[in-house]
Formats: sequence, structure tokens, C-alpha cells
Amino acid sequence: MSTKNNKLKNSNTAIPIIAASYIGPALTPNSDAIWEEEKLPLNTDNLVNEIMGQPMRRVGRFIKMVCCGGLACLQKVSLDYLKGKKTGIFMSTGLGNVDEIMPFITQVFKHGGGFPSPNQFANSVSNAAAFVLAQICEVTGTVLTISQEELSFEAALWLAQSYLESGEIELALVGGCDIFTPPVEEYRERVNLAPDEARLIPMGESSSWLLLGNSEGEKIGNILTVDFGEKLIPPEEFSVSENILSRSEKLISASFSDDSTGQKKSRILLPGFRVNKIEPDFWKLKGWEIDDYLPFCGINSTAAAFGIARALREKQSALFVHYNCYASGKQAFVVASTK
Amino acid sequence: MRGWGAVTSLGWSAPDSACNLIAGKAPPAAAGVSSHLINREYKAFEVSYSGNPFDKSIAMLESALAEAFARAELSADEIAESSILVGTTGGLFIRNEYEFTKAVRENPDEESSAISCRNRGPGEVADLIVNKYGIKGLALTFSMACVSSSHALVVSADLLKRKKIRRAIVVGFEPLLNMTLHGFASLLLFDYDQCRPFCATRAGMQIGEAAAVVILEADESSFSKYKFAGGYLYNDIKSMTSAGIDGVTVSEVVQQTLTSSRLSADDVVVIKAHGTGTIDNDLSEGRGLVKLFGEKLPPVVSLKGAIGHTLGAAGAVETAVWLSCCEEGFIPRSFGFSEIDPEIGFAPSQKNIEARDGAYLFTYFGFGGTCTSYLIIKE
Repeated sequence: MSTKNNKLKNSNTAIPIIAASYIGPALTPNSDAIWEEEKLPLNTDNLVNEIMGQPMRRVGRFIKMVCCGGLACLQKVSLDYLKGKKTGIFMSTGLGNVDEIMPFITQVFKHGGGFPSPNQFANSVSNAAAFVLAQICEVTGTVLTISQEELSFEAALWLAQSYLESGEIELALVGGCDIFTPPVEEYRERVNLAPDEARLIPMGESSSWLLLGNSEGEKIGNILTVDFGEKLIPPEEFSVSENILSRSEKLISASFSDDSTGQKKSRILLPGFRVNKIEPDFWKLKGWEIDDYLPFCGINSTAAAFGIARALREKQSALFVHYNCYASGKQAFVVASTK
Repeated sequence: MRGWGAVTSLGWSAPDSACNLIAGKAPPAAAGVSSHLINREYKAFEVSYSGNPFDKSIAMLESALAEAFARAELSADEIAESSILVGTTGGLFIRNEYEFTKAVRENPDEESSAISCRNRGPGEVADLIVNKYGIKGLALTFSMACVSSSHALVVSADLLKRKKIRRAIVVGFEPLLNMTLHGFASLLLFDYDQCRPFCATRAGMQIGEAAAVVILEADESSFSKYKFAGGYLYNDIKSMTSAGIDGVTVSEVVQQTLTSSRLSADDVVVIKAHGTGTIDNDLSEGRGLVKLFGEKLPPVVSLKGAIGHTLGAAGAVETAVWLSCCEEGFIPRSFGFSEIDPEIGFAPSQKNIEARDGAYLFTYFGFGGTCTSYLIIKE
């Protein structure tokens, strides 16, 4: 309703990205470190010490990962950067804090009566993680925990962009976090994976964040558009390259209607995990590269945040389109660019 | 506000709940009867249903949606072009609890394996609705403890005001779970006897199950009697579990709501308080309201003594039931109260009040420092 040319519904104006950071299953910030599904989940102690400078007590892996991811993103600008600015936190997660829900509920249903931990219950509430992060960052304004399965991050990003555009906030820390919770068979079921509706690669985890704001001078790129398509599509159309290309090019054109030089940047597709067939030759022929980020984080509900943050850090002067699809057929395109 | 619907322990429609409240027919919480509940000591406000608890949850959701769509007179095309914003904490976690307890009951001689967690997170509820009604607009779920659907209402109103969405279907959904019953009991926030909002003898909350839907639209030419005047969201980082018993946070949140709605304290005719019945919530909320309104404090009503704390659904449920009360012409009394707490200094409303025109204030304070407040104007 309010793009630059007012053609696309639900789209927002371009928002500068000030910082980006990603952490994958190897728990090494901003690095494509090697990992294996069988060895997950890894202990977060070293990561917490590296990012926070001290241990975190009375919280599980999920909250630690959220805080480490958020703070890793803020390392570029320091926490002081937020002071005096109206900041929002938009935390997305597909599954929430399953890491603390499971031991709690196991105790509740234990034969002969268990002793569930009140601390674990308090932490298991999905927004506990955003609370801890907000407390560390001293953010009191808009703090939202958003969940929409595999489109959670895209939904949070769209909402953050909308709040920034309205002027209600000056900065938005937008992230996605989902963690590996064994057994892996149940984890796959929670992510709603069927062989014909998703990539066949290992499960993983990630905590990846972007700092958005209206600071043109400090930006590393722009979020141009977050678009949820105009129809629900059947599973057999999830991965049709021609359709993805057509929509991506329309969105790019709409984003650059008054700036043709921007469109000359190299174009890169970031396919989400519902895309079960990638055709590199097709995309190459059309002048596009494929950045297949999923092997570096594995399948998880907010993997899109990892892919986008990683591309923003590593690819200069490029235009990206991240594409993923809900199992019910709702699509999400995120168009971003780097300087 | 174009339409609404609700299922609570007082009935399978918002008018049913409203009529029972106004008639004083609000039985206290009782020992749970659903087949998945494993501890009958925890009294709850349960929705009556003859089938299994999972089917009941889906039926509650579908009933609230159907009621709201019918009241709003939305066509299938209008529903499909809407956006859906859900507030829930448990989502469809009820499936895990139901399947586990069923398996244990059917195999009494075998030691069961641990309960498994197979639900797809809070977003699964919105997906269910998207699939059933072919909704093509934005789908978004807030999983933010007790303010989940009240936050969804305020965010929806903001998005409508900015013309980002055309229509919002706001859903609150919270089936009764062992997880939350045992969780609040483990935190010593559970009253084993009765939920008594703002009462000197209050000892905690009691949980209710519910589903509700509120439909908001940006159509300025609408003839709706009820307008969402504005709301305010705040994140209190001082405590994960308390809004501060000095009342300062509550007072500031309500003042911000009035300012953003361009209204004054004098415009508020009745306050629909969060009023959970926990010692800290009611103290901080009571003190905050007195701090702001002083001697001009309008009647204060908590619905939780009658329908329980419906957690993430509370925003949508209490709004839908309240609007139906307005339609019936009366705001009900606040149930579960017997004695003024001198630290709070007022009694919640103890008689039905005529639902006159003016601004109705709604407040919610949840886990994780979350605060929501909004105003609805009846014209």
C-alpha cells in the first residue's frame, strides 16, 4: 500500500541496515564453521563468555542464543549507540523455548509426581528471551515476540520496517532464533517437514540479527521490500524457478523505480528450506547467482535471518532476494541490497 | 470494531457469556474434568464439551471465528483479503498433552515414555485459520504471555491507522493446559480456593480456557458503535514478573494511552482492569489507577473472578465479552471480591452498571514486563 510507487500491497519503504550478525550450529559468530547434526546441540558456555564477557545463570540455551545473537549484532555499534534513541526489539522464533518447555513438561507428567522448576516455567514463556535481551540493552519501548513458523523472521522484519517507517521508533533490532532440540525426528516434525516440501539436509539452529535504522551514513545496505505474495500456492509450485524469478524481478523493479543504477548490482537468490529443487543453470542463464546458505546453519524455522545476515556481511554491491514458503502455500520474499 | 465472538466457561458465544455475567450466573472455578488433566486439585474455568480436549479446542476456535464473521457480516472474499493476528502462548500444545495422557490411559500396565513435543509452535493456530479460510493477507502470531492478544489488538490498530492492512482478524486462543496449571502453581501464583481480584484475601490467579475473535477495520465511514481509540505498548525491564508494586509503571502506561488517544482521565467511564487476583498484580494495578485517577476513579471491573485468567487470549476474550455486555446494556460487577485491601484503597464495582456512551479503558500486564492498555469508545 505504501511503496515508493504505491503498486504493491503490504510493502514498506527501504530501511537502512546498520549492522548484521549470524550464529549457526557451530556457535562461532559470523563464520561458516563446520558442524555435524549428530553432535548437536553444542555447549554455549564459550559463546556466552565471548559475547557477554561473563556466564549467564538461570537461563537455558534458547535465551543464551537470543542474547548472544542480539549482542553480537550490536558489537559493531556498542550498546551506547542505543542510548537516547527510541529502539524496538522484534524477536522472531518458530518454535520458542522448547529447550526449557520439554524438561518442565516432562517433570509435570512424571510418574509418581514430579517437581517442575518455577524458573524453567518462567523461562519457557516465549517472550522471556526478549525480556532478558531488552533488559541487557535497556530497551523499554516496543518489544515484540513474533512467531509464524518458517515465516517468523520475515513477519518480524515487515513489522519492524513498518514501525520504523511510521517514526514510532528510530532503531529496530530484528532477529530470529530457533535452537536444535533433540530427538531430531521430533524436531523435524515440529518444523513440519515432508520430503516433497523441503530440502533434504540436516537440521540445525541459528540466532541471527539485523540492526535497522534511518542512519544513511552508517549503513551496510538496505532492506528494500518484505512481500508476502498475493495468493496461496500449492506445494508443487513452491520451487518453480520461473515464478520465483518473475516475482523477484517485479519486486526489484518496484524498489528501484526512481533509481536505475541500483538495479545494476549483481543479483543473488537466497533459497529458503521449503525450496526443494534449486536449478543453478536456470538462474545463471538469467544472470543470477545462488547463495545456498542452508548447509551453514541447517534447517530451522528462522534460518532466513541467518541467510540474510550472512549475505549482508559477505557480498558487496549486490541485490538479494530471500525466498521461502509456508507449508500452507503463503510465500515470503525479502529484497535487500548492500553498498 | 466490526465484529467479535468468544467462547468462555460461561458460554459458547459472547452474548451467552455477557448475559450470564449480567445475570450473576458465574459459577466459581471447579476441579478440572477434561480427560487430559492430571491434577484435580487445580480449579479452573473450563469450557463444557462432551468430546476430547483437542477436539474441544478446535471447536472453540471455529465457533469464535464463525460468530465474529457472522456478526461482522463478512463475505468469504472479505475474510480472504483480511490479515490475521493471533495471540496465544500454548498454541496447539494441547495435542501433546491429550495424546500422551490418552496413550497412558490405554496402556495402564506399561511404563510410558516421556511426553513428546510435536506441535509446530504458536504460529500453527494462524496457519490453521489461513488454510481453512484461504486468508491471503498478513499472518502474524504474538506469543507474549498474558498480553499476547491485547498486544495483537494494539498492533492491528496501528497497522490499520497506517493503512498497512485493510482489516484485522485478531484471535485470542488458549486451551487449558497441565503445563500452565502446574507452572503457575510452581510459582506460588495459584489460588487453590477462589480467584479474588483486588480483594484483601486474594491469594493468586485461576486459569480459564477461551477462544475469541475481534475484527478491526479501517473504514472511517463504518457505522459501528464501537471505535478503538488508541493503545499503548510498554516493556518494563525492571522485573520479569511484576509491574512494580508502587504503581508508577501502571499509571504511566495508562497516561500514555490517554495521550495517544487524545482523551483525558475524565473521559473514562469504566475500567476493565487486568485484575488477576495475584497479590502483586492487583497491588501495582490498583495503586497505579489510584495514582492516575485519584478521587475520580471510575468503576473498576475485573472479569477474571468469573471467567478466569485466559492468559494469551485475555485481550481478545475480555474485549469481545465486554462489547457484548455493552450490547446488552450493562457492565457486570467484578466477581470474587469481599473485602477492601487497605493498600489498594478501593473496591472493584459490585453492581451492574449501565453501559453508557464514553471511553472504556482496558489494561493488561504480563510476564516479561509486558504492558498493554487501550481505549474503546462506545458512541
